Amino acid sequence: MANRKRQRILAIARHEYRAAVRSRILIVLLAILIVATAGSVIIASAGYASKLADYQAYRAAAIAGGVTQIAPSPLAPLSLLRGAFEYIEIIGAVIAVTLGYLTVSRERVNRTLPLLMSRPVTSGELTAGSLLGAVAVITTLIAATTAVAVLSVGVVGHDWIGLRDTGQLLLAFLAAIMYMVTFYSLGALTTASSKIATNGLMIALGIWLVVVLILPQIGDTLDADNQLPGGLFAALGLGHNGEVQILTHFATYETIRTSIEAASFEKHFERFAFAMTDVKERFRSLSLPDLLFQVRFSIAWLLIYTAALPLAMKRSLRKQPSIPQGETQ
Amino acid sequence: MIATVARQQLLSLRRQRVFLATLGMFVAMTAAAGILGWSSHNTIVRVYDQAVRLLAAKGQPAPPNPFLLKPELSLLSNMVIYVPMLGALLALLVGHLSLADDEITGLGRLIFSRRVSRAGYATGKIVAAAVALGVIVLVAMGLSIVSLLVANGALPGLAALGRLGLFYALSWLYLMVFALIGMTAALLSRRRSLGLLSAMGAWLVITFAIPQFTSGVRPTASLNPIVDPAGTSQRFFQITARARPISIAEQYKWASGHILVTAPAEPAWQTVLRAVPILFAAALLALAVVALVRRHDFSRSSNGE
Repeated sequence: MANRKRQRILAIARHEYRAAVRSRILIVLLAILIVATAGSVIIASAGYASKLADYQAYRAAAIAGGVTQIAPSPLAPLSLLRGAFEYIEIIGAVIAVTLGYLTVSRERVNRTLPLLMSRPVTSGELTAGSLLGAVAVITTLIAATTAVAVLSVGVVGHDWIGLRDTGQLLLAFLAAIMYMVTFYSLGALTTASSKIATNGLMIALGIWLVVVLILPQIGDTLDADNQLPGGLFAALGLGHNGEVQILTHFATYETIRTSIEAASFEKHFERFAFAMTDVKERFRSLSLPDLLFQVRFSIAWLLIYTAALPLAMKRSLRKQPSIPQGETQ
Repeated sequence: MIATVARQQLLSLRRQRVFLATLGMFVAMTAAAGILGWSSHNTIVRVYDQAVRLLAAKGQPAPPNPFLLKPELSLLSNMVIYVPMLGALLALLVGHLSLADDEITGLGRLIFSRRVSRAGYATGKIVAAAVALGVIVLVAMGLSIVSLLVANGALPGLAALGRLGLFYALSWLYLMVFALIGMTAALLSRRRSLGLLSAMGAWLVITFAIPQFTSGVRPTASLNPIVDPAGTSQRFFQITARARPISIAEQYKWASGHILVTAPAEPAWQTVLRAVPILFAAALLALAVVALVRRHDFSRSSNGE
């Protein structure tokens, strides 16, 4: 019984994967993601290579001069992947929403949904199969993007990502898969809930716009220090201590501001990914357990969203009529 | 005939719930830009008061009032972000719906069974998009004036109103580019979803990818009102910076920054020149739409997906 169930889920997953890789629009969006990612990493790596050469020249001179204590390199090759993660935040999410939309609309347009529903397939199996297929597609996308990004760092930046960094990189890309799976579920959920599939796609893209672009932008804009070019506190002639002292009078304001940022799922993914890829200098000296502790709330939010959206998707898939009604587009 | 097509299209847009929802979001964000401006105004006043007290306690002189450093229209600097983000997506939708709907409903077939000029039909659609976006931009301008009135306690002066008018005129032109991209993509694709997503792909490239190549602006840095281009000391940017004039997203932001006086000053002719590539792109796309409508087979219904 369990074996048959597994076979049904795998059959749906295989169908999902094949259909996705045959979709021209997904290929086009993936090409945009890969080219933009490679471009961003190459741009970052070009300046990095010269800094690395400077450090290596200093190191060689110090060794030749008999210096025993040499300062470690302040450079972090992983941080060159910042642009790659920013593109996953923006373009990756659009790809995932499109994938979710295609999962539902494909069956509607091809009129295969009534056929599928006439078979002994439960909504749980349909959701699990679709999700499994989507995870496979997303993993392929992320793997391709990672390969391009890591190769760009090595070839252009002349620095290869080491073993210690590989673990952190894998965690960051696992988070990227979770992030994209959440947007995939959103796309499938809104499409399944709409009579006209394209309207579902537009609703999902509207939510994407708010979550990925608008909420983080509002949070940044409300930052007191961002109110003037060059920083408000610098314009007032106050140092970091003065800034901290003054901000104690703005506790409620700061809570509201950070809550707006925290309402964005994208911000949690970004905090986690940036911590794992050494983008924030203050995290670079921390060990992996310490790093994970620092971003524990972001991890919790990522897990909550990744679990909640597929559950809601299952509910929508169960409720959608097996015989398409109204326009299917 | 052009007027008939345009009127029908405007009526159709008014009945589209998705369009109304997106429009509602854009208007809400325009109002939010005002609220954020008002909030930043209040924050600066309060931070300044606290800074004066803190420095007085240390026996240090009070710093200059930061409002002297903040131009009057800077309260609206967030609009420079919302127009290329929300506004451009709304414009894509306007363009997409203008042509995709006629194909889905079979209206295109019906229209061209009559003696209707294709150029006139295309012009009518472009005029409808221009009017719809013009109305949207006027509503946004009205909201911005109310925001300035609330935040500053007085109506903006004539000079500020002139600048505001120029900013929204430039925004309208910028949005027209995206409406025309939406139309072009709808005409080039058989599937409705493919047309919509291709137009979005073009928006992603124009808004995020090109500024990164020409100026090294990271994707999330594109959410800042002021563009801060990378120096041209790197060989890569020495080459790509030559393409900056055709990066219309950057040109729009720079020109808007100068019009709203939130960016460093530059000669007026230079700001005018920044609008030229946007105008050129709009003209080119308008010609493409007319040419594609002439060639388009309206007897074929759009394939759904």
